[in-house]
Amino acid sequence: MAKEVSKFSSALRPGRKLRHIVILVGVALIYIWAIEGSKTNPYTLVKGFPYIVNYIQRMFPPDLSILGKLTFKVGETLQMAIMGTTFGAALALPLSFLAARNVMPYRPVYQATRTLFDACRGINEIVWALLFVSMVGLGPFPGVLALTMHLLGALGKYFSEAIEAVNQELVVAIAATGANRIQTVFHGVVPQVKPLFIGYIFYYLEHNFRAATVLGLVGAGGIGIELITSIRLFKNQEVLTTLLVMVLTVTAIDRLSAFIRMRFIAGVEA
Amino acid sequence: MIRIEGLSHYYPIRAGSAPIGVNGHRSNREMALCDINLGISQGERVVLLGSSGAGKSTLLRCTNLSIKPTRGKVFIGGREITSAPIKEVEQIRRQIGVIYQQFNLLEGASAMKNVLLGRLGYTGTMQSILGRFSEEDHAIAIDCLTRVGLEKYAQKRVSDLSGGQKQRVAVARALAQRPKTILADEPVASLDPKLMKEVMDLIHKICVDDQITLVASLHFLELAKTYATRLVGLRAGQIVFDDIPAELTDKDIIDIYGETEDWVLYGKRGF
Repeated sequence: MAKEVSKFSSALRPGRKLRHIVILVGVALIYIWAIEGSKTNPYTLVKGFPYIVNYIQRMFPPDLSILGKLTFKVGETLQMAIMGTTFGAALALPLSFLAARNVMPYRPVYQATRTLFDACRGINEIVWALLFVSMVGLGPFPGVLALTMHLLGALGKYFSEAIEAVNQELVVAIAATGANRIQTVFHGVVPQVKPLFIGYIFYYLEHNFRAATVLGLVGAGGIGIELITSIRLFKNQEVLTTLLVMVLTVTAIDRLSAFIRMRFIAGVEA
Repeated sequence: MIRIEGLSHYYPIRAGSAPIGVNGHRSNREMALCDINLGISQGERVVLLGSSGAGKSTLLRCTNLSIKPTRGKVFIGGREITSAPIKEVEQIRRQIGVIYQQFNLLEGASAMKNVLLGRLGYTGTMQSILGRFSEEDHAIAIDCLTRVGLEKYAQKRVSDLSGGQKQRVAVARALAQRPKTILADEPVASLDPKLMKEVMDLIHKICVDDQITLVASLHFLELAKTYATRLVGLRAGQIVFDDIPAELTDKDIIDIYGETEDWVLYGKRGF
């Protein structure tokens, strides 16, 4: 009986074995190509091991004298994250409705908005920061602009996907009361996506804080500038302190944001 | 008054469903309604009968243009709405309350808020976005909640209400539109038998008291006979019976529902 079943299933899918072999060879080729190109070599790591140990040793003990300066920079990083999230969300909110098929029937507008989101999201924050530093100069503000642009792309995508996933029956029910198009969107779509949107915004506030910690590397403000300065001046003890502060604050913000998100999503819901 | 002339509707065919039209010829579209002609006078209570996929939901949805029919005309109060501009369609829709099997309420909002949404058609865009409904609208909403027996639940979230209560809120929302017609698509199919009767009694009473035309689809023949002044049987998108409940014979029932499973062939597309 069992034999018959297996015979039957292999009869259903002829050439299954061959396909497995082809996939296996394909994956192997991709790895050979990737290892070759990235110069991945365990020997380099083994050879460098004493230097790694030495570097770590020189980081101890962490230099706590810079804590005051770091605290200021942590504040600046948070300020950047708040502003970047605010601007990004404020732009993504109206635009995302243009990128949702069920709200925007005109395909060109829908396509154009989608493309804008993809472009904004496709460019990493640090690349945006490099561009804005070149355009408006050093400091936290180009960092804010960088966060804004990337967030516009990311939130735009998630917002519009949430809008497309609403219960369309409920939207039809609101339209059936005689509501016009705008009213139907505001009372049929918005209440359904509101809790999701709030969740996304808080998640991205947290994401933006993490992103903002590295923007300083290219001169766009935040705690990253301390890190790059310490590394360049070989002040390894300061490097360790900065890294510790980064880890601690990122963890703290993550926890806080998760807490707020949970309260919000449980409490607000339309 | 509702008049439907030569109404046909096709859904684009979906993968996997049988590509056989009503006349047996193959087509790439699925026929849901085929040349429906129907006139309903003010105050009638029409119940649509038919198997799943017979076209009951499609007919109800075409009546207020929630679905734009492929062919044919719908007249509401003498006005042809199938080709009317959207502004006019919105004004016609205000007079038609709709009740759905799945309630289609905002679960996270209060009963009151949901009933107020029945007033959207009478509220300016800006006011409604700001959530500012007029004093009069609030009074109407409270009145409607009272009529469905839920005045004490006005501030309760819909998600905290039972199924029967939810459908009462939906009835109140429809009522808040001050409708001339109520369309009810399987309004009690999600409820248990006791609640079914309660909710149908309520809808019936409201329609009788306010002289509202009712067009409802119901699964249970017994319920249909109890509440209807007229039964319309649909089969494969066509009307096969149209008379008062007393005239419905066993033969008619077979005509509507079939004794074999042959109606399955026509696809089970139904909303």
